[in-house]
This record gives sequence, structure tokens and C-alpha cells, in this order.
Amino acid sequence: MTRKGTKLIFFFSILFLVMPVILLIVKSFSFSWKWGELFPTTWSLKGWQVLLTEPRLWQALQSSWWIGIAVVLLNLLIAIPAGKTVAFHSFKGKRFFELSFILPILIPSLAVAMGLHMTMIRLGLADHWLGIVVVHLLPSVPYTIKIFHSSFERIGPHLENQAASLGSNKWYSFYSIYFPLLVPSIRSAVFLVFVISLSQYALTALIGGGNVITIATLYFPFLSTAKEAVIASFSLIFAVLPLTVLLLFELLIRIFLPYRKRNR
Amino acid sequence: MKWLEKDSFLFLLPAFLLTIVLVGYGVMMAISESLHKNGRLTFQYYIDVFKNNNFIASLSYSLWIALVSTFFSMLIGLLITRWLYYYLKSDFLKIIYWIPMLFPHFVWGYMMVLLFSQSGWFSSLAYRIGIIHHPDEFLVIIKDSHGIGIMITYIWKETPFVILMLLPVYHQLNHQLSSVVKTLGGKDWDVFKTVEWPWIMPVLFETSIIVFAFILSAYEVPYLLGTTYPKMISLLVYEWFFEGDWSNRPKAFAAMLSVTMFIFSIMMAYTSLLIKKRYQMMKGNGK
Repeated sequence: MTRKGTKLIFFFSILFLVMPVILLIVKSFSFSWKWGELFPTTWSLKGWQVLLTEPRLWQALQSSWWIGIAVVLLNLLIAIPAGKTVAFHSFKGKRFFELSFILPILIPSLAVAMGLHMTMIRLGLADHWLGIVVVHLLPSVPYTIKIFHSSFERIGPHLENQAASLGSNKWYSFYSIYFPLLVPSIRSAVFLVFVISLSQYALTALIGGGNVITIATLYFPFLSTAKEAVIASFSLIFAVLPLTVLLLFELLIRIFLPYRKRNR
Repeated sequence: MKWLEKDSFLFLLPAFLLTIVLVGYGVMMAISESLHKNGRLTFQYYIDVFKNNNFIASLSYSLWIALVSTFFSMLIGLLITRWLYYYLKSDFLKIIYWIPMLFPHFVWGYMMVLLFSQSGWFSSLAYRIGIIHHPDEFLVIIKDSHGIGIMITYIWKETPFVILMLLPVYHQLNHQLSSVVKTLGGKDWDVFKTVEWPWIMPVLFETSIIVFAFILSAYEVPYLLGTTYPKMISLLVYEWFFEGDWSNRPKAFAAMLSVTMFIFSIMMAYTSLLIKKRYQMMKGNGK
């Protein structure tokens, strides 16, 4: 590949991936952008104003945020131990386990959620945020296990063995060895899982039954009733929320990391 | 090989509970609902579903959209990864391929509405250039009967995903082997076939089945960008599931399980192909 060609592909990648987002941002600040104009002639904050004074939005933001956080934490709790075991140990039926971990994204989650629906109603999980958290695990956990499986494989078991021979216990070895090395993987998992949780409309509506409003279930009615500038502002909220979670994550990491990175 | 130790078992338990117990339970319940009519075991609902013209139209429409979108996402993703993997070692450049990950699929779909609809930006551009004089003259890409808008959304959104899945493999490849092939007079295609393909094939297969399964059973994007007929399969199933008198619920289960079986049979075909290939490679090395 020539240098020129490489630059060209980069150029088009940036164009393709950034242009829609820029259009969305511009749209959110232009209340009356007529057809035939390539750029809006007047700018306005009205789209954001209408959106942010919508009382249901704040309610939806809260439930989305907490549901997302719960889904992220459960994902880490499920995937880190599983990823470690699959990466370091060999045992009978390991292939079976590995295959089963990918099942929730191969079997349409709508089929599983429909099957669970009745039981969830009986258990009182339907129409409740807890039930939503459970179904949001389906499309997210397989990715998280994959992420941690490959990162444990890359790190290897040797450091932990060294610590063990020096008399460290398992929890401290995890905290002082794996945790710092896993930070990049945890970061991508947190980000990915939170976005996946925000993206669920069908599952949330099915199990939440309209009683729990998340920003996804609020977005769809907006699509048919609100002005374009309002929808564009709403669309951007979906990207802002994961960024707040990432920010929180960086803050927590700074506090809990056993030692600071000196170089790199 | 030894049995699972107690510690490891505890470590796998949460994942096991989710993937086998919860998913297994959900599927079993779905199967049971789809096979019972007035308390008797029957295949009637499956027969009904496959005789239903709406279902057949939805299934072929969904399959077509999923196949085309998966194929192009994989192809474009693979080409870009091959060309750029060397430059994408830096995290800064990689970030641009993470941008679409920041948005849910339906928001990406809405961006396509802003770009491609008859009153969208490209339509305005066409007017400025002088190709069209009225919004109605712009091609119907959004909410069209061929699902072009849906396919554009998925290809646009999944290609970066494919790139991010393939990048680690390309970074781990032994690129000295590529030079060996070149010195021995091989072309670019030979490098791809002999050095890259054996390594990337498993990841390529896995990624494509994930993308395919995801698009085939997706609800949100076709809801936003699809037409009323034919509907994508999940929309039809969702409708059946929530119809007032619940009489169509077993049909909804039968339809969704048929899609599941379809995905599984493709995966089985893939896996057997992979195992056969592996066996051939082993034999080749033995000579």
C-alpha cells in the first residue's frame, strides 16, 4: 500500500465516522434548518431547551444511569473470574463452557426474554428495574468474558505464581498484579457494556412494560412527535452518558490503583 | 485432562448461571410455549408460521438484509484492517474507529435519516448541485422496501466493529512470513492466502456469525428505518407477542425459535468447516 493510499483511507475513515456526528451536533443547534441549505442560517438553543425541560427525561436519565451501572458491575463480577479460569486452566468440558459463553449473543435475546417474561411476572421482576438489569446482561456478558479471556491470556499466570511463592494471598495478588494490568480491559468493558445497556429498546420495553422509563424507551416516542433539533439533542445525550461513566471510572481508578504508572 | 477444581468451579459459576441456566431456562420456556396447544403437544404453530405469508416475507427480507450487511461489513473491515493495521498500533488513531461504538444502533440509524432521507443533507446537496429540484425527486433510501437504509446503517456501524475485532490478530501475526512469501515470488494474494488467512479465519468466522445473528434478530433499527411490509422478523414477532388476546403468542415463539435454529445451523456448518480445515492443516504438516 502506498503512502498516499493510506492517507486517503484514513481521510475517508475520519470523514465517514465523524461526519454523521458533526451533522448531529449542528442539527441540535439549529431549530429551523430548511431543505436546500447545506448549513443552517440561524443558530438556536431551542432544541436543547425543549429537551432539557422535559421532566420525563431526567427520570429516564436516572434510571438509565443506575441500570447501566448495575449491569456494568454485574458484568465485571461475572466475567473477570470466568475469563481468568478459562484463560489459565484446562479441564474437562472447557470447550463446552467456552461455547456456552457466546450463546447469549447467538440466540436472539428477544427469544430468551420472551421465554423469561412469564416467570419474571410471577417473580415480580417484570415492570421492575431489576428485571431489566437481568435481561441487559444477555447481550453484554459474552463480550465482557471475551475481553477478559484474551487479556488474562496475554498477561499470563506467571506473575501470580511468583507472588504466591513469595507468600502473597490470592486476593492481594489479584489486587496488586492483575488489577493494574487489567485496567485497560476493564475500561473498554465498562464503556462497551454501558453503551449496550443504553441501546436496549426492545428488551427494556418488553420486560419494563412501560413502567420503567429509560432514555431508550423515551427516545422512540420522541422520534415521531418531536422536532428534529430536539431529537438530535436527545441523540447526543446517548453519547454523553457513557462519557460521564468513563470519567467516573478514571476517578475511581486513580483512587484505588495500588501504584501509579511511572513511565509510559 | 483433569476435572474442574472447586475454586475454578466457583469462578465459573456466575457465568454458568447466566449463560446456561438463565438462557437455557428462557429457551426451554419458549420451546414449551411454542409446542403446546390447549395442553397438548403439537407442531401446529410451526406449520402455521411457515404457511404464513407475512412470516415468509419477513424471514427472507431479514435474511437478505443480514447477509448483505454482514458480507460488506466483513469485506470492508478486512480490507481496511489489512491496509492500516501498522498505523493503528497507536491508540490515538484507533479512537476514530471507537466513535461509532459510542452511539446505540438506533441513534446511528437516526443519523442516516438526517443524511439520506428525502429532506436530508444529501438531498439538499443534490439540490445545490442542481441534480434535483424538489425533495421528492431524491431516491427513497430511508423506509424503502429493499431495506437499503437498514443495510447502510449496519454496514456503517459494524465495519468499525469488525476492524476492532481483527486488529489484535493482525498485530500478532508474524509479518516476517509475509516477507518470505514475497521473496519467494509470491503476490499480495499469496501472502493473504498462506500467511494471514489461517490466522484470521477463526476470528473472521466468529465475528461474522456475531454480526449476522445480531442483524437478523434486530428490532430497533428496522423499527426506525423499515417499511410496513415486509417487516423484519423481530418486528413481526414483537407484534404477535403483544397482540391483545395473546392468541398469537405461541406463533411468536415458534417464529423466533425458527430464527434461532437458523443461526445455529449456520454456526454448525461453520464449525464443521473449521474442524475439517484444521484436520487438513495437521495432515499437511505431517508430511
